[in-house]
Amino acid sequence: MTEETVATRRDLLALVLDTLVPASGGFPGAGAVALDHVLAMAAASADLERLLSQGLRAVEEASRANAAAGLASLSDDERENVLRRVERSHAEFFEALVRHTYDGYYSHPTVIARLGLDASPLHPRGHRVEAVDLPDLARVSARGPLHRPA
Amino acid sequence: MSGSTPGNDDRTDVLVIGAGAAGAAVAWMLARAGVGVVCLEQGDWVDPRALPHWRTDWELHRHTDWSAEPNVRRLPQDYPVNDAGSPIAPLMYNAVGGSTIHWSAHFPRFRPSDFRVRSLDGVADDWPIDYATLEPFFDLNDRMMGVAGLTGDPAYPPKAPRQTPPIPLDTLGATMARGFDRLGWHWWPSDSAILTRDYDGRRGCINCGPCDLGCPTGAKASTDITYWPKALAAGARLQTHARVREITLGPDGRADGALYHDGEGRLHAQKARAVVLAANGIGTPRLLLNSRSARFPHGLANRSGLVGGNLMFHPYAMVRGVFDRPLAGHRGPVGCSLISQEFYETDLSRGFVRGYSFQVARGLSPIASALGGFIGDRVPWGREHHRAYNDRFDRTITVAVIAEDLPEPHNRVDLDPALTDGDGIPAPRVFYTLSENSRRMLDHGIARAGEALEAAGAGEVSANPLLRAGGWHLMGTARMGRDPATSVIDAEGRCHDVPNLYIVDGSTMVTCAGVNPTSTIQAVALYIADGMIRRRS
Repeated sequence: MTEETVATRRDLLALVLDTLVPASGGFPGAGAVALDHVLAMAAASADLERLLSQGLRAVEEASRANAAAGLASLSDDERENVLRRVERSHAEFFEALVRHTYDGYYSHPTVIARLGLDASPLHPRGHRVEAVDLPDLARVSARGPLHRPA
Repeated sequence: MSGSTPGNDDRTDVLVIGAGAAGAAVAWMLARAGVGVVCLEQGDWVDPRALPHWRTDWELHRHTDWSAEPNVRRLPQDYPVNDAGSPIAPLMYNAVGGSTIHWSAHFPRFRPSDFRVRSLDGVADDWPIDYATLEPFFDLNDRMMGVAGLTGDPAYPPKAPRQTPPIPLDTLGATMARGFDRLGWHWWPSDSAILTRDYDGRRGCINCGPCDLGCPTGAKASTDITYWPKALAAGARLQTHARVREITLGPDGRADGALYHDGEGRLHAQKARAVVLAANGIGTPRLLLNSRSARFPHGLANRSGLVGGNLMFHPYAMVRGVFDRPLAGHRGPVGCSLISQEFYETDLSRGFVRGYSFQVARGLSPIASALGGFIGDRVPWGREHHRAYNDRFDRTITVAVIAEDLPEPHNRVDLDPALTDGDGIPAPRVFYTLSENSRRMLDHGIARAGEALEAAGAGEVSANPLLRAGGWHLMGTARMGRDPATSVIDAEGRCHDVPNLYIVDGSTMVTCAGVNPTSTIQAVALYIADGMIRRRS
């Protein structure tokens, strides 16, 4: 692929990801934070790369059926409708795309922090567990043995 | 840490195959008694500094190199499993520590009635040993592994004090406990092989969460940090990257060692006076079936034809409730919160024989929440995505229904005619169908779990009727029994057909109870090793 083709493909995929998980309420769009992950997964798997190429071609074709300028020229509603059509016609591609998009999106530190979690590695910090009021286990114990004698 | 490398011509007293939950326990007990032990393990030591917990993208690794499914993970030390004939995918980990590396360390014992299923309920078979026989080995194993818990659970006979206080239930666990309480049902903080305080040179848990990706702290008991350091100190030798091809026989028909491939594929022989198989409920029958000879044309120790048969999983149904408030489910050990055994013992009015447990685990991490967790209903994409995600994230409790499977000969492990591992050794193939009894049991559990979640305050409740990626427990494929026609090993763990060949892993299990099996597998392994020592002396 030429550099121009690669850039065009990145732009299209970013637009698709932003349609899957749009920027909203302080959360970034997936095109900004999950694109590199999806491309890395495709680069590591010939099967996924094939699916991605076929799927993106289908997106382009479906988009041009709406407007000659493609997905970028469509409204948010129209983009979503295009992807829903491709989801039905290329189910395997779409399932993999959504899964890897969610993987990349919800492992990104920006998103983790926006969820209200600490985005630093789990170790060595761990989590502080708060003391909570528990139901009284005496009620359970008062029932006596629940196991059958053998 | 590493054991010394055994030489090819170095005949040892006992060769142990597999360094996981059972193999480590046996190696330690034998070595401590002065028995010469060599263990062959196809995996390597796991470096706690290389675990995903040190990375910001830790959760991604659940789907790649830290997947519990060998067919997904595909590491060089893994072997493929043809599971196309099973609705449940077998899970395992190949390393020093075996599947205790990636388990969640929920650590209940079998109950006394679990060993007398035929006598009490007229199904399956009784074990040739009982709870009282195993009790000292349960206790010994608890001390070696380190158990957090609370004595006094009326679901069990009295137990010795647990090594540390129970895992904190936190908001999520307390919410669910109140649900069980409102219904008047049994619940109890889980016995967990996870330290809540420092114990035996190991640190207490820091509640980071994903125990299934290993434990960088060492609070979770995996046998690479519990049994193995003590076994090596007692003189046991451990050879890693050693994949056993077949068990060899001497002219007298007794096992005399094994042939194994090293990490470069070279073939070696290890001679031994006795052989102990601890390669899990799929790896052990695979190895026996691959060890064919003129004396055993259908696989070693397989005159009964039962090697590989009677495969039991614990079929899991998963039930999820969505709450209207945050539950702090990301804090604390992922698999451990509380257990309910309200529907454990047989009550035929329920429409099935035997019973099940509820296991309440922690909440879902960010990616798992998006993908639907154990239910698998991913959050919808598009403009409604964030709203739908926020409705779910940190607001769910998942209750696992863990059903007692009954042994059936047609559920089995055999050898795939084409598939092999990296050394060209035939791979296992699994055939399994869910029985009508198990289906009814799971359906009952789904309905009752839904009631408990609603009693705890859940709004929407959803269920996955049978978890595919749920084959954590691999059991029954070389069962214990007194009759050589209906079992593979005797009550001492010896193969009926080859008396110096022992089996100590989940293959030995006659029935599988309605709880996680590791503490019972390890207790049985210690009991068998104790018998080997007593007969030797």
